Amino acid sequence: MFVNFFYKLREKGIPVTPTSFLRLQRALGLGLINSLEDFYTSARAVLVKSERYFDLYDQIFAHYFKGADLPDTEGIALDEAAQMLLEEWLRDPEAVARALGVEEDELLRLTPQELIEYFLKKLKEQTEAHHGGNRWIGTRGTSPVGHSGFHPGGMRIGGRSQGQSAVKVALDRRYRDYSQEGPLTQSQIGEGLKRLRYMVPVGPKDQVNVEKTIYETMRHAGEIEIIFDRSLKDRLKVILMIDNGGWSMDPFVEVVQVLFDYARSQFKELKTYYFHNTIYDYVWEDPPRRRKPQRVEEFVRFDPEDRLIIVGDASMAPFELMSTDGSIHIEERTFHPSIDRLRLLAKIFRHTAWLNPRLEYEWAHVRTIQAIRQIFPMFELTLDGLEKAVRHLMKNN
Amino acid sequence: MNANSQGIKFTGASKYVLDPELARIVNISMELEMPLLLKGEPGTGKTMLAYAVAEALRMSLIVLNVKSSMKLVDALYQYDTLTRLNDSRFGDSKRDVSNIEDYIKMGKIGQAFVSALRVVLLIDEIDKADTDFQDDMLDVLDQMSFDIVEIDKTIKARHRPVIVITSNAKKDLSDPFLGRCTFHHIAFPSPDMMREIINVHFPQLDRELGKACIETFYRLREIPGIEKKPATRELINWVRALRCDPDFRPGRLAKGEIPYMGVLFKKSTDYLVASQHLARARN
Repeated sequence: MFVNFFYKLREKGIPVTPTSFLRLQRALGLGLINSLEDFYTSARAVLVKSERYFDLYDQIFAHYFKGADLPDTEGIALDEAAQMLLEEWLRDPEAVARALGVEEDELLRLTPQELIEYFLKKLKEQTEAHHGGNRWIGTRGTSPVGHSGFHPGGMRIGGRSQGQSAVKVALDRRYRDYSQEGPLTQSQIGEGLKRLRYMVPVGPKDQVNVEKTIYETMRHAGEIEIIFDRSLKDRLKVILMIDNGGWSMDPFVEVVQVLFDYARSQFKELKTYYFHNTIYDYVWEDPPRRRKPQRVEEFVRFDPEDRLIIVGDASMAPFELMSTDGSIHIEERTFHPSIDRLRLLAKIFRHTAWLNPRLEYEWAHVRTIQAIRQIFPMFELTLDGLEKAVRHLMKNN
Repeated sequence: MNANSQGIKFTGASKYVLDPELARIVNISMELEMPLLLKGEPGTGKTMLAYAVAEALRMSLIVLNVKSSMKLVDALYQYDTLTRLNDSRFGDSKRDVSNIEDYIKMGKIGQAFVSALRVVLLIDEIDKADTDFQDDMLDVLDQMSFDIVEIDKTIKARHRPVIVITSNAKKDLSDPFLGRCTFHHIAFPSPDMMREIINVHFPQLDRELGKACIETFYRLREIPGIEKKPATRELINWVRALRCDPDFRPGRLAKGEIPYMGVLFKKSTDYLVASQHLARARN
């Protein structure tokens, strides 16, 4: 019963499992569900396991049982594709114009809004993702636009390319697996950071060490000798320095925010400092970087066992990093080039990691990233990178 | 087992305002013998639901408060080695030293299993523990049995407890865990629902005052930049405080004069933000 409903849920991206569907069947068999309303709540409680999908569930339910219109996900995908075409156009108008087979000048006259509409029209002309054939978007066709096609001047759509072309993913999005993607969530970060622990015995001696107690009692010929131990607690101290200034970090604010929130709840001893682009004489304890400066030299008084994690994109003009007095802030004057300061920090703390929200394949193109990588081990701010960073931070040497 | 649970239907309790949807979900979880996982922001009555279920079904309630450092075995049973050692030395108790079973104490889940009557087991704030704990616990609850390794004995549940698990919406639980529960997310109560909740707690409350309080409460929740929004618990305490004040007039709330703000906002920054916001609104 309701097998189609089940598949509709799956198809629209709600992760429902066959087991839970069988459970629902059991509930139906037990005679527990006697009305559509019963079915609505029971099916939701049994099948849908996160409130994120409640809205979608409602829509599918309404569609299935009341014939309401489903949200036009195709339309959304087209919108996104058009948006990407627009971005691509802004970057390289000539290529896009050529790809669409129209004059560049003709497109130049259009406002962005008109451009979007124009792209949408073009995208809609091609109703199905058609692979083969000679209409103008698709794969393996002879049309000028498309991936793996053999038109010499063709523009890649779908498939992989080195230059991270925005259009390349435009059509793939339609088939994307929602459950696998998405930004780093808090629980993922939690999983990643879980191993970042340093267990040491602290507090009152209130844990009985059974083995030692038995041993000591035997040694005293049966006279009871109870041995207590301190319990193990996580005493890892973490210093987090976050690049929170400048537009170059803007796209990553969300993911860094999640990291910070998690770190704050996870680590008892967490000190957070802020800087802009790179570190000169000071880092700041307050996010606006005004009231509570902390001299970089003073970190020598810290425990070298503290773990230092720096989060930043490490991307800036080379002079900001290399030259003396390189700060772009007029009030921040110094005689030490920033790179020396970074070296000092790397010398003070034995365990350091630089988390970079930019993905690894981009690093080679940025000179300052190359320079900073020489000083701090650098990791991507992704699940994978986080795990590597944690493994590195917990190494003994 | 089934005969036992048939005819028992949860329809609400004296101090708990139940919406019919939630009642259906509680009943279906009981019939399917699956734990009910409740999520929702603090103050939406997740924990209170378990108390209400227990009261309505006339079962006793066993509460397991999950802590971050907790191991699963702590929730199941404890082997009291010290007492045994002591008894073996002095031998002045009625316990049999050679029988380890005399020194096994049941934890909360263990108690729920061995109880002679069916109970409600509340596992509160499961998200505090790490994922291993959660998955292992679900295995135990799935099979309704666990082993005591010290005496090589399997404890089987005499009656399957009604299990309610709560989680603050912060973390997502693991997929295998979710697969074994029924799920419900309690949304923050609507103003109408809140009126009913207030009526249940203060049957004698003046209608005007109740209305003014609830309106003000929802307005305060809307103030931007508040980290911890006041929830149902705060509202109830606040109404209680206002009722104790003989000088208080409901009309003052509409003008933006809010007495006892500290009952509603528990963080000093929130308190500050709210008072500044109100001061601006007054001028």
